[in-house]
Amino acid sequence: MKKLAISFVLTLFVALGLMAQVDRSKLPASGPAPEIKIKEAETFTLPNGLKVFVVNNTKLPRVSFTLVLERDPILEKDKAGMTGFVGEMMRGGTTNRSKDQLDQEIDFIGGSLSASSTSLFASSLKKHQSKILELMADVLYNPTFPQEELDKLKKQSLTGLAQSKDNPQAISSRLAAAVLYGKNHPYGEIETEETINNITVEDIKKYYQTYFKPNIAYLAIVGDMTKAEAEKVVNQYFGKWKKGEVPKFSYPMPTRAAKRAVALVDRSSSVQSVINVTQPVEMKIGDQDYISSRLLNQILGGGSASRLFMNLREDKGYTYGAYSSIGADKLVASISATASVRTEVTDSAVYEFIYEIKNLVENGVTQEELDKAKAELSGSFGRSLEQPGTVANFALNIERYKLPKDYYATYLQKLNSYTVEDINATAKRLIEPDKFIITTVGNGAEIKEKLAQFGEVIEFDNMGFPAKQLEAEADMTAEQVLENYLNALGGKDKVSAIKTAKISMDANVMGNKMSIAFVYDSENDRYGQKTSFGGNVMQKTALIDGKGSIVVQGQTIEMNEEQLAEAKLNSYLFPEAVYEKNGYTLTLDGLKDVEGTPAYKVIIAAPSGAKLINYYAQDSGLKIKYENPASGDTYYSDYQQKDGVLLPMTWTIKSPMIPMPLEAKVTTMELNVPVSDEDVK
Amino acid sequence: MKKTTLLGLLMGVISLSSFAQNKIDFREFTLDNGLHVIMHQDNTTPIVVTSVLYHVGSKNENPERTGFAHFFEHLMFEGSVNIDRGQYMNIIQSRGGTLNAYTSNDITYYYELLPSNELELALYMESERMLHSKVDQTGVETQREVVKEERRQRYENQPYGTILPETLVRAYAEHPYRWAPIGSMDHLNAATIEEFQQFYKDFYVPNNATLTIAGDIDYAATEAMVRKYFSEIPMGKREIYRPNITEPKKTAEIRDVIYDNIQIPAVIQAYNLPPRNHPDTYALSMLSTYLTGGSSSLMTKELVDKQQKALVVAAIPLELEDGGIFIMYGITNMGVDPKDLETEVDKLIQQVQEQGISDLEFTKLKNQMENAIVSGNSTVAGIAENLAEAKVIYGDTNYINQVMDYYSKVTKADIQRVAKEYLDLKGRVVLYYLPKSAKPATE
Repeated sequence: MKKLAISFVLTLFVALGLMAQVDRSKLPASGPAPEIKIKEAETFTLPNGLKVFVVNNTKLPRVSFTLVLERDPILEKDKAGMTGFVGEMMRGGTTNRSKDQLDQEIDFIGGSLSASSTSLFASSLKKHQSKILELMADVLYNPTFPQEELDKLKKQSLTGLAQSKDNPQAISSRLAAAVLYGKNHPYGEIETEETINNITVEDIKKYYQTYFKPNIAYLAIVGDMTKAEAEKVVNQYFGKWKKGEVPKFSYPMPTRAAKRAVALVDRSSSVQSVINVTQPVEMKIGDQDYISSRLLNQILGGGSASRLFMNLREDKGYTYGAYSSIGADKLVASISATASVRTEVTDSAVYEFIYEIKNLVENGVTQEELDKAKAELSGSFGRSLEQPGTVANFALNIERYKLPKDYYATYLQKLNSYTVEDINATAKRLIEPDKFIITTVGNGAEIKEKLAQFGEVIEFDNMGFPAKQLEAEADMTAEQVLENYLNALGGKDKVSAIKTAKISMDANVMGNKMSIAFVYDSENDRYGQKTSFGGNVMQKTALIDGKGSIVVQGQTIEMNEEQLAEAKLNSYLFPEAVYEKNGYTLTLDGLKDVEGTPAYKVIIAAPSGAKLINYYAQDSGLKIKYENPASGDTYYSDYQQKDGVLLPMTWTIKSPMIPMPLEAKVTTMELNVPVSDEDVK
Repeated sequence: MKKTTLLGLLMGVISLSSFAQNKIDFREFTLDNGLHVIMHQDNTTPIVVTSVLYHVGSKNENPERTGFAHFFEHLMFEGSVNIDRGQYMNIIQSRGGTLNAYTSNDITYYYELLPSNELELALYMESERMLHSKVDQTGVETQREVVKEERRQRYENQPYGTILPETLVRAYAEHPYRWAPIGSMDHLNAATIEEFQQFYKDFYVPNNATLTIAGDIDYAATEAMVRKYFSEIPMGKREIYRPNITEPKKTAEIRDVIYDNIQIPAVIQAYNLPPRNHPDTYALSMLSTYLTGGSSSLMTKELVDKQQKALVVAAIPLELEDGGIFIMYGITNMGVDPKDLETEVDKLIQQVQEQGISDLEFTKLKNQMENAIVSGNSTVAGIAENLAEAKVIYGDTNYINQVMDYYSKVTKADIQRVAKEYLDLKGRVVLYYLPKSAKPATE
């Protein structure tokens, strides 16, 4: 009633005011801050220990059920990656339903149901509630963990791992985890092919039997459901869930680096460096510095008006975006400032990162920055409340972090009470500018030396393991590497005796057979290559009479000079045997780690400027990798003797254009057979 | 007896409420200058969304000046008489808000999401934009560069990024839908400052705008504030140009090849649709879900899972005021000839045309649509947009509460009928996207 009266007066007032001009010269002031009413979740606990939160919101006829397990992080050791499979395995079928049946029944009601090693989530329209609960309970109680599902998941996981080895972002996060927490910490251990292959159905069953217990579980029900109804359905579906003892674990707190250092992964094909300036931090929701560190981070690198963004992007143009974060976690979190920058400005960007962090800690923030950060964070806090799930999260956090009951009800008050001095004190308490690790994934040859100014540069491989300390012998030369290679194959004479070759290879691409055929004729400078799928030729390359052509899907393209020069360089089965004759120059670019094998990197350059980059194993002398930033890298393995010469029978092609490494195996190889123009075309 | 009545009442309340939950309550009024205002009160969260829908899209452009409507979406953040250049976004953010905008072939839409005590600021900002935005040389030049970058990033550098413009230009011979909102850089370069100013005067007028406010508001106070800031804005002087062009029905297939920066070929098919407010729109939307909506849909199951001829297939009805297009695209799996994929797609279309769909699939489809419609009104920002579109496109704000009814009128037979009627293999556009490396050298 009162409200109505006020509105009425207001209307009248404004209507009268209309006669006068609206003052548009200044911004309207903010109205009185609205009271943010945070609905409280209702709670109850089952005799088996399951704690339930109910957030009744009838705006939409929907309801969701989120089950969360609260357990200590697990060190998986030689089975790292196991917990990542648990959820999909639970969804992989039950004693009542196959995976296909589960999928169909979930789709049929337009609902969703997913699982992880510490959660189970289901949602649907209110009217399909019984069905989705029935499916959720079936997955919770009766999973069958089919072996074929695990096989499929392992295959996907290994494909993902293979892809991630060439993905600079993935390499960067793996590296950061390893250097921040160490390999013997749950957050620092690394999944490898070996640990994934070690995982068995039994491991997953055992995990499920140990940890899926109601006494460590929370169930959040959000949507169209009262507490009374919740009590009824929770008892019905989760009442018979048996409690059990769950193991607890603790881990030593990771320490910060004694002094600043650089952790480098050399990825020679990179044109950008992925930089992460990072250190571990003890920080939990509810800690003394938790809210003030949100404000601090907002100012440093929380958005597109932050210091890092303004400096590295707007002012310097080094990057598309630079951001920072201060994590929060029960065990341990990290402070981190990141950007992907052009190779040439890698050291300049690191310099600016360090400058900004140091400047923040030493000179603090301004009132204006703090006010803006408060407004931004208050705004996003307010907006988050529109999602009813937010209230459930708050209730969950209050339980998990033993927060005062009114922690979120008074969150904005607390947020707005911080002064510049408070923020500056938080910065000094949390951040040690001289103890950061600067992880960098980029072209080592270009950036390694320049990074030394920031601290000792320690090299790692693409899996986050310390790189083998590789240094080519001082007297090693490129010529020597090639000679060793030809000798390893069987000697230069035998290699030179091979004038022509016809090689066919098969590869499996997502269930389809791909065939690649090569024809080499070094005497007559002829070369042909054909790629076909199921008998249909997809792509052809041919060099005849000093001319080159490419045929793709029936369209013929004549090569331009540049393409021709590169194609010519590629047209020899053994370019190493003809470099002298053809006037190519050689450069030895050190000893490198090729998937764990030390190998010499040799650049063979034609007078035209076209280049071949090859890697020759230090121990065997054999060529194990051909690098091509444009078309992808080829790895050679399984060398076998043919006509007195060793030749690789498996070629593995990795390219950004194909989703997974392509493994091609030689099916036929004919050496010194007659070659006709028709063979080449 | 009393007990029964109580129970009956309770039942009544329950069934009423489960019906009422979907109803969006709103108030609306129109100012003398033609500005239509819609308000929706929802006090559960102290936030408010303020949006303005300008009924101008790329179809209202001069064919010699395409890209204007979208260009204005950028220009309109440059500031106004009272808002300094580049400050628009900063002001909103420093009061705890976020904002965004988009342009389609039919409309341009701006919105701010703020704490509810900042409603007056939002109204002031939007009224500044409508009353006297900065349309000057500096702003035009700055935004031309930004739009060039956007164009590079979203169209030229993006694999398959040109699908929409390349399809539109072939799907329409006469209607201005033949160019995409991004328009032509040459046109923007050639335009004079006077032309930009004229466009602003023609289309950024209250009689071409719908202001929607949704969230934690008081209806009376909000109306008063709206009147305060928007009443003084003069009505547009010229009649608003709306093309009255009927696209002639295609009688022959248009087939072409586009060479793009891609590795994997794609097949695109486009079929012309009826106007957006035509009753068949609902059946067509359900048809697209039946074909490619979800992993158990007809084409996804058959072409991606079983035959593995496609990496992905999608059917998207691009619903437009004067009749949009039903775009289908399939990206081929490695080693699959695009022709082969196209044949299989056509077979499945013909299957729906000849056999229709099963009862089971029809029920599933209805459940999926219901879930989507219910979830579409889960945020105030979504509600504001749906309210504005209901008014402008469907002519009645209350349409927001009738969408479900229209869908429930669709029958199984309708889905088969619209498949036959609109997916006419003889009057469509077919494009093959092939890698640039496959382009014949002589071309």
